[in-house]
This record gives sequence, C-alpha cells and structure tokens, in this order.
Amino acid sequence: MAEKFDHLEEHLEKFVENIRQLGIIVSDFQPSSQAGLNQKLNFIVTGLQDIDKCRQQLHDITVPLEVFEYIDQGRNPQLYTKECLERALAKNEQVKGKIDTMKKFKSLLIQELSKVFPEDMAKYRSIRGEDHPPS
Amino acid sequence: MENFTALFGAQADPPPPPTALGFGAGKPPPPPPPPPGGGPGPAAPPTAASAPSGADKSAAGCGPFYLMRELPGSTELTGSTNLITHYNLEHAYNKFCGKKVKEKLSNFLPDLPGMIDLPGSHDNSSLRSLIEKPPILGGSFNPITGTMLAGFRLHTGPLPEQCRLMHIQPPKKKNKQKHKQSRTQDPVPPETPSDSDHKKKKKKKEEDPERKRKKKEKKKKKNRHSPDHPGVGSSQASSSSSLR
Repeated sequence: MAEKFDHLEEHLEKFVENIRQLGIIVSDFQPSSQAGLNQKLNFIVTGLQDIDKCRQQLHDITVPLEVFEYIDQGRNPQLYTKECLERALAKNEQVKGKIDTMKKFKSLLIQELSKVFPEDMAKYRSIRGEDHPPS
Repeated sequence: MENFTALFGAQADPPPPPTALGFGAGKPPPPPPPPPGGGPGPAAPPTAASAPSGADKSAAGCGPFYLMRELPGSTELTGSTNLITHYNLEHAYNKFCGKKVKEKLSNFLPDLPGMIDLPGSHDNSSLRSLIEKPPILGGSFNPITGTMLAGFRLHTGPLPEQCRLMHIQPPKKKNKQKHKQSRTQDPVPPETPSDSDHKKKKKKKEEDPERKRKKKEKKKKKNRHSPDHPGVGSSQASSSSSLR
C-alpha cells in the first residue's frame, strides 16, 4: 500500500525539481542553454507519463474534497485530519452519553413499571429472557 | 410516577374487556371483519398482523407486548465504544491532536518552490478549479519532437520582475525550521542558559573594578575626615578585606 504512494511521491518530487530547474533556465535565458531547455521539456513530458502510469495503481484511493479546500487556502492538510479526528471523538462521546442516558432511563422505567404492573413486567422479562430487572 | 400512570391511565386501570384495548388479557383481539365495500370503517386495533414491519414476529402471541421490537444485538458497533481505539487510530490521534500542527501549507511541503501559502484563487491555481474545469487532454503524453521544439526558442536575457514567481519563497521560514530542527536534534538544550550565565559573570567581572575604585574613593574620603583612622595604608587594607 505504502509503496504505491512512495512511487508517486518520488515521481512528483522529480517532476517538481524539473519544473524548478526549467524555471531557472527560463528566468535568465541564454542561447547556449537552448539544448538544456529542450532536454528539460522532454523530461517534463516523461515525468507526466510516469505520473499518469501511477494512476492505474491508485484508482481505489479516494480523497475527501475538503482536503482540496485546505490546500487551496494555503493551509496544512494535516489540519483537516486533526479536525476530523477531533470531531469524530466529540461525536463519539456525545453518542456514548446519549446511549448511557437511555440505558439509565430504561432501567428506571422497568423498575417503576415493575412496581405498577408486576405481572406484565414479569411477562416482559420472560420474553426478553431477563430473569432480573436490569440495574 | 403519577405522570407516568396518567400517561398509561387506560392501561393502569382495571383491565377492560379484551375487545376494548386488548391490554392484559393475554391475547390480542382478533381483527374486526373488513367493512363492506371497502369504505372507511373503524380503525383496526394494532395486531401482530397489522404491526409495523420492524415488530418482532416471535412476540406476536405475547399478550400486551405484541408491538415489541427486537433489541439491537450487543455485537453491533455503536457510539458506546471508543471508535478511535476500535479502528486503531490512537497513533494518528496522538500524532495530530497531541501536538500543535503548523498552520501553513509550506510547513507541510517545505521543499516545494514558490509561494504556496497564498490562496489558490489568487493566481487561479486552485485544485478546486482543476476538478470543476478539468483541462482538455489528449489520449497520452507524447515527447516533443524537433520541429515542435522550435516553438520553445526564447529571447535571451532575464525575465521581467513580475514574472519571477519561481524564486519567491516564504520569508524566513526555512531559517526558523532549521533553528527548530537544530534545537530538537541537539540533545543538550541548556547551552543557551549556560552561555548567558557566562556572559553575566563576564559583566560582573567587568563591573567589579569600577565598583572597587568607587569604594576605595569613598573610604579614602571617610578616612581623611575621621580622626580614628590616621593612616592611608590601614584604610587600603580594610578596603581589601571588605572586598574579600
């Protein structure tokens, strides 16, 4: 799994480096650097071909669109992961609280119902397979 | 409890005839015959047959509990379990939430040239625009041949300043990072305090001769005015002893 990403990362780094070097050549162009420029242009084409080949190995990878928003705003995409994890934990705690409260309510309800409808609640417990009311 | 009994008043009262509500009689009432002609008749009491699809079929003959649903299985994954530990994400949680994550994109991609912290809409380089308006591409990437390369003959000389975006880097970030890295890499952090102590000592040493002179001068003046100390040599001795 990680090899696929390493492969892509390697190609992307090479591509970025080629673009950087191309930028340097172009920023102060000399007639003697025409051959180097032509070479770099073809390196970029082969670099794009290599990146395109990586696409086949990564077709099952999905990226949330929100990550692109972070990158477009010049923000660290790890902040998205961080906020996602924090949100997940907060929601998890919230739901756990609700479940615990509902469990308490259920036990109290059965307790009180057993006082008022002892026979019916005995039936209920026998259906549920509970010998004793839940604490 | 009174409220609760009020809510279930019809059920809490002595059990009515089974045809009325069917609570506490042991069996649900049989469904009434359908009205002739399919017209609107009296609403049929809820029975096992007319129970919602989620109702427990096994509880059909269970007296008042014919609407009872099956409890969710205990093996079902719910929010009552810590889902971060369940999916083995503690490491990721500690990594991202344990320490402060740097805000800027250049901290994530420090080796990427150019001003990458600027918003993508600024120079029309956003990834969102790439998704919304994908570039029109051919089938494959073909190498540039000799005749096509003729189109890349450039003018000699440097680019105008407004076009030199490649060389602009975020200001002073790399220095900060290097400084931080050196701090983290160095196993002995208290180098700076020891240096500062050393400087302080130096300062003290530098100040000491001045203080000595001032003190000497004061004592000389005192000795001149006081009748008890006639000699200068004794005053010098006392000053030297006091300094010690």
